[in-house]
Amino acid sequence: MGRKVSAGELIEAMPVDKLYFNEVIGPPAILNFQKDFADVFQSAGKRMKVFDPMRVAFMPDHTVPSCSIMVSSGIKLMANFAKDQGIAMYKEGDGIEHTIASEEGFVLPGEIAVATDSHTCTQGALGSLAFGIGTTEAENLLATGELYSFTAPETIRFKVDGALGYGVYPKDLVLHILGTMGEGGCSKRIAEYSGSTFDSMDMDGRFTVCNLSVEMSARTAIVNPDATTMSYVEAALHGRGASLTPEQTGMIARSDDDAVFSKTVHVDASRVEPTVSLPHSPANARPVSEVNDPINVVFLGSCANARRSDLIVAARILKGRKVHRDTNLVVIPASRKVYNWAMDNGILRTIAESGANIESSNCGPCFGKHMGILAPGDRCLSTSNRNYKGRMGSPEAFIYLGSPATAAATAVEGRIADPRKYLGE
Amino acid sequence: MELRGKVAKKYGDDINTDYIIPAYLLQESWDKQFFADHAFEYYDPSFKTACRTNKESIVVATNNFGCGSSREQAVYAVKYNNVVAVVAQSFPDIFYRNCLNNGLLPIQVEDTSKIGEGDELLIDLDGRSLKNLTKGGQYAIIATDSAIDQMKKGGFMGFVRERLRTRLASAT
Ligand code: SF4
Repeated sequence: MGRKVSAGELIEAMPVDKLYFNEVIGPPAILNFQKDFADVFQSAGKRMKVFDPMRVAFMPDHTVPSCSIMVSSGIKLMANFAKDQGIAMYKEGDGIEHTIASEEGFVLPGEIAVATDSHTCTQGALGSLAFGIGTTEAENLLATGELYSFTAPETIRFKVDGALGYGVYPKDLVLHILGTMGEGGCSKRIAEYSGSTFDSMDMDGRFTVCNLSVEMSARTAIVNPDATTMSYVEAALHGRGASLTPEQTGMIARSDDDAVFSKTVHVDASRVEPTVSLPHSPANARPVSEVNDPINVVFLGSCANARRSDLIVAARILKGRKVHRDTNLVVIPASRKVYNWAMDNGILRTIAESGANIESSNCGPCFGKHMGILAPGDRCLSTSNRNYKGRMGSPEAFIYLGSPATAAATAVEGRIADPRKYLGE
Repeated sequence: MELRGKVAKKYGDDINTDYIIPAYLLQESWDKQFFADHAFEYYDPSFKTACRTNKESIVVATNNFGCGSSREQAVYAVKYNNVVAVVAQSFPDIFYRNCLNNGLLPIQVEDTSKIGEGDELLIDLDGRSLKNLTKGGQYAIIATDSAIDQMKKGGFMGFVRERLRTRLASAT
């Protein structure tokens, strides 16, 4: 990130490296950009142009394929603007923005990345400083590429050591952490994860942990890049015929030795059990073994999970089994790449044969708008990140959060189930 | 700069932006008033009427008001119901910045427990104090100089336009 900043320091104008938009906030941000800056371009005798089209990407993902005339109009508006400006526009079904931003090598380690969505913090798994912004900041960024009056946040260090137990996943770990911190527990601070648990965690798991960190109100989350990060990024870049610059490769670094942490939280990962968060708060975490509630909808998807390793474990549990007759299982791979990969190696077939509904990549039931909407009284176990009242449909429905393994076991039993008994040692 | 208003609503901890404006509405309009018309639709259907009763309303909460999603529509939903300020013990950053950008005052004070619905409040940005004119009591407003500055200006727009002007002038 170039220069050193210390917590509390006010940066008047902070340039950002990457900016991506979904179709929820993209259209109003574009319209506002055109309305609020047209005269400035005009009086300078210049054509309206975003600060740098190469640093911007549009990723329609929340309710695609489109579910309403307004959504379609918004996507069309983005596509026309993208074409005019030379901005990369992904297709409906390419995947959820936070999944493809990293998978496509759009966001890279060490960069400052912002997007019009609170789960932008997912990119922290790459070792980038990434966070969500609102519509007005998005239009400002389109104009100047800068963020204004940014106060460098303090950092809470989560030192996580020990091996996760059998049937226990990064999702369980982060739900457990949310349970101890509360919804406001990391407010205004960056959550930095380190320790032996993270050293041995794959990228999928790191994305999950960073993703859910905003549920304790973290400004963002970060894992320092290591060899695991770099091989992930190299593979992503290879896919688009690019490679890392020597400078980027050289940035594998621990957080500065003199970094100041406002506090350190120690977590013993070996003591974490499969965990679910009960309605209506992501911080309402309990060990699965203490919960046995009936569940009639299971959703395996969202930017929190639904990557390769998540589908692998779900398929292992679902193989040769059937989804419970009173339960509807919806599975949405987080991106087209994950979808096609799962198709090629038979994972989708296993999941389909169990009786699941498989949908093309998008936010799906997590956004509560266009599919898998919950009715009053429904009880849903979801691998997403928010179980607020009304999040996935009726405010009289009940949402539980859990890992993909817990989701698969729960789909089979029709009630919250401990996945360990299906996994064998 | 001083502002007066009446407390129309008081909430507890962790009011998230999904509660303020549910997701299914976000893409259905580009008009800010639309979101105000649907504010707190599920969570508190009495919000709108309570706020619209006054010309200048204030919403009070305890901790972490506006957490969750980054949707700026949550700010429009509150503001365009005659709300001039939200007073709380803490705010998450995204919501706080969205407020500053839209001229809805995010007023952070140490303790809101003694402020109740119906109280008349006076916000003094220069003196950085919040006074309860009904029950008495005065609270220091916690904010950086830059945030106070943005609250007075109603956002950053003037500054951003200036930055763009400079950039365009220096570009060839
Ligand atoms: S999957 Fe859910 S949390 Fe993630 S970006 Fe989509 S709506 Fe937001």
